Amino acid sequence: MGFLVSFSFFFLALVINQSTLVGQSTAESVIEFPKSDIRDISQVIKEHAQNNGKISDPVHDDIINVSLKKEGAVVNYTLDLAVNGLGHDPLIDKNNYSLIHFNNGVTEYNENWTSK
Amino acid sequence: MTGTPMRTGYRALSRNGTGNHGGPGRINCDGQLYTIEGIAAALLMIMTAYLVVNATSVYTAGDTHISDMQLEQMGSDALKIMDTPLVENEKSPLQEIVENPGSVNNATFGSMFLDLTNLKTNSGSDHIQYTANYTCRIHPGNEIASYPLSYSRNLTLGEHAVRVTKWVIVTKKLPPSAALATDRAVLVEVLLWRD
Repeated sequence: MGFLVSFSFFFLALVINQSTLVGQSTAESVIEFPKSDIRDISQVIKEHAQNNGKISDPVHDDIINVSLKKEGAVVNYTLDLAVNGLGHDPLIDKNNYSLIHFNNGVTEYNENWTSK
Repeated sequence: MTGTPMRTGYRALSRNGTGNHGGPGRINCDGQLYTIEGIAAALLMIMTAYLVVNATSVYTAGDTHISDMQLEQMGSDALKIMDTPLVENEKSPLQEIVENPGSVNNATFGSMFLDLTNLKTNSGSDHIQYTANYTCRIHPGNEIASYPLSYSRNLTLGEHAVRVTKWVIVTKKLPPSAALATDRAVLVEVLLWRD
C-alpha cells in the first residue's frame, strides 16, 4: 500500500519539477507571435487600397523594403482594383482584391481579401 | 485395514537436485518478490530525491516577460490611437506629425504619447520614457533611412526597453529633394521603458 502511494508522490514531484519550464516556454511563445505586426501590415495595405493605390506606387516598394530591413519580415502583396483587375467588370463587381503574404521566419501569414 | 495413513501432501515439490535448504523444509520464490520490491523502492527514492533537488530554479516575475508584454501592448495601443483621425476623412495626428515633424524633439508627439501611456487610474502619473523615430525608403532605389522624431530622454543604453511600431501612410517628399509629394508608407518606431 505504501509502495503504491510512493508512486503517486513520485508523479507529483515530476509534475512540479517540469512546471517551471512549461510555463516559461508557453509565455515566451505567446509573446513571440507577431499579432500586432500582422494586423498593422494588413491594415496599412487596405488603407492604401482605399486611397486607390496601385502596385506601381512607391508605397509597394516602401512596405517591402522597410519590412525586410527593419522588421525582419518578408512581406508581399498584390492589389487588383476594380478598374484594373483581371476579370472584374467595373460596373458590376466593384471589388478591391488583395493577396497579402507575411513571413518573419517563424510565422507565416497569408490573407486573401476582397471588398465590395 | 490398519496402518499409517499415507501422507501425500506433506512434502511440497522440491526442485531436482536440491535438498532441504533452511526454512521449514520448503524452497520457493517468495524472496524474489521482496528483493524486487526493495530495489524498486530504492530507485524510486533516488529519483524523487533527484527531482526535488533539481527543482530549485527561482522563478522571478521578470523571467515570465509578462511586464514586458504589458508595456508593449500599451505602447502599441497608444500608437494606434494616435493614428486614428479625430474627424472623418481627415489626417490622423500621427500622419500630420510625420508629414511636418519640425525640429527634432516634436512636442506634439511627446505630449500626446505621454498622455496616453502615463495615465493612471488614481492620481499621479506613471514614469514611462520613450524615444521615437520614423523610417522610410529613399525613392528611387532600395535604401532606407531613419529620422529622429521625438524623445523624452536621451537613451543611455542601460534601459530595459520594448519596441513598438506602426505603419503610417503619409503624403510627403521622401527624400526632401524629391520632385513631388506622393503617398508613401513610413514605419514609426518607438522604444519605451519604465523608469
